[in-house]
Amino acid sequence: MSTQGVGGVLTISPASSPGRRSRRLRRLAPFVPAGIVLIGLFFVPLTVMLAYSFWTTNANLDVVPIWTLENYENFFKNATYVRTLLKTLIIGAAVTATCLVMAFAVAYFLARYISRRWARLALLVIIVPFWSSYLLRVYSWQAILGEKGVLNQVLVGLGLLSEPSRLFIYNDIGTYIVLTYVYLPFAVLVLYSALDRFDFTQLTAAQDLGARPDQAFRHVLVPQIRAGIITASILVLIPILGEYLTPSIVGGASGLLIANLISNFFKNALFSEGAAVGFMIVALVTLLLIAFRRYLRVEEVYARG
Amino acid sequence: MADEVDPLETMPVSRNAGAVRWGLRAWFGVITVFLYMPIAFMIAFSFDASTTPGLPIQGPTLHWYDVMLHNRVLLRAVVNSVSVAAVVAVLSTVIGTMAAFVLVRGGLRYPNAMRVVFTLPIMVPGVLIGISLLIFFSRALHLPLSLGTVVAGQLVLTVPFVVIIVAARLQGFDRALEWAAADLGASPRQAIRHIVLPLISPAIMAGALIVVTLSIDEFLVTWFTIGPQPTLPTYIYTQVRFGVTPEVNAVATVMLLATLLIFGVASLILSRATRARRRVAPVRAAEEDA
Repeated sequence: MSTQGVGGVLTISPASSPGRRSRRLRRLAPFVPAGIVLIGLFFVPLTVMLAYSFWTTNANLDVVPIWTLENYENFFKNATYVRTLLKTLIIGAAVTATCLVMAFAVAYFLARYISRRWARLALLVIIVPFWSSYLLRVYSWQAILGEKGVLNQVLVGLGLLSEPSRLFIYNDIGTYIVLTYVYLPFAVLVLYSALDRFDFTQLTAAQDLGARPDQAFRHVLVPQIRAGIITASILVLIPILGEYLTPSIVGGASGLLIANLISNFFKNALFSEGAAVGFMIVALVTLLLIAFRRYLRVEEVYARG
Repeated sequence: MADEVDPLETMPVSRNAGAVRWGLRAWFGVITVFLYMPIAFMIAFSFDASTTPGLPIQGPTLHWYDVMLHNRVLLRAVVNSVSVAAVVAVLSTVIGTMAAFVLVRGGLRYPNAMRVVFTLPIMVPGVLIGISLLIFFSRALHLPLSLGTVVAGQLVLTVPFVVIIVAARLQGFDRALEWAAADLGASPRQAIRHIVLPLISPAIMAGALIVVTLSIDEFLVTWFTIGPQPTLPTYIYTQVRFGVTPEVNAVATVMLLATLLIFGVASLILSRATRARRRVAPVRAAEEDA
């Protein structure tokens, strides 16, 4: 796959006569509308945001093209902002780790212990909730985690809590639980397709040669599914860095993440400061994407079948 | 490969193997319950007669569905969502299919780089796309926000989906069919219209249906690019944020079933087409060997 790109660079046409050029342009013409969408509605707006992050907001709350680093400095001077950024990274890491562990056990079971036909069906069962509206899946947790929610009712009924509490909603715990719920199917899907290619007799072989089960697992299985583990991690971690909806529905005031902070800047018409925080997230996501580009197989998740 | 589990793969190598297997089976059950429980409660509460949804469920009643059908703002939001979804689906299917042809059929110097570029809008968090569009529309272009800006914003997300799905299908397309058409006197345009398009139409249709569900569900980009007219998700969001009305559960249930149905049909079309191709493939492979 990657060698094709190199080949493309090397085969730049030696002499492009006018006729060849116009034929080439005609062949590229169908690409133009998509190019307009991609450039005009994605890259240009992101570039404008980048420019805003280095410009000044004046007293009238207008952004004027006076170059400054103040928007970034203000962010790092404010302890609350920095704490929110760190919290986003920590919750992102915690949710990713939880999803990986929970999903691995499921994927391992499906890949090793049941026939492929049943595994396909089981995967379908796991993916179906993922097809439904993201907003509704998050909203539905209010009725479970809320003060009058099912979880509180059950715990009070069992005598574990003396009265309904707000332990599980409008805080970081609520955000953590719901984010795990939202991204778990992603992780199962990716880990299953990695484990499905693994030949489990290798584990038996390793043990025949004297490895303990945990050694066989660590030295034989894990290296072979490393790409799948990395893909799953990125597909869970990156969206969480920009998570807006879940914190604002079940996170409450104390469970807000960095994206909610960005949106608050814009609500208060502080466009340049909001743009600065926004650009930091875009840069972080882009760096992750570039660093792990080999493991990105979005098609595997979205264009299956 | 046989479809049954190879006995060697599950051969118990330790005394705990049986327990591990049962543990994993139970874990699969737990995960399934975890994934379906919130949705199940939401559906159940839509039939709850109590104004504060909770256990035990009182009812059942269809009261909230009745309330829903008489809520004018809500019905307006549904009409808005469906119109936006229709426009977005048509535009992104046409634009995306055209781009997929160029992406797969060469003519691009850096096809792999272009693939990465097309996955970017899917991977960059929606909030940032929404906010950058908000700055761009309201501050740079001075456009009033409306359902038109929502359509423009959603295209950023939906065009790449169509490109990925259609390109995946075109990739496996047997060009010998086109050459055969050319041998029989078809112009390139005729070959595309009568041979290629009918054969990749399942992917295009599935892509369009997926775009419809994406658009109807889309919240983030919509939230930042929308004017005074709500779509269904932005309406639900404001209801959820500012005072819960129990009819939201009824709305949510209907919306859930509708999007699941559309998405289910889309993946059925895709998997059917794949299976049909697999049936043809062995014959073709044998011909190539000969």
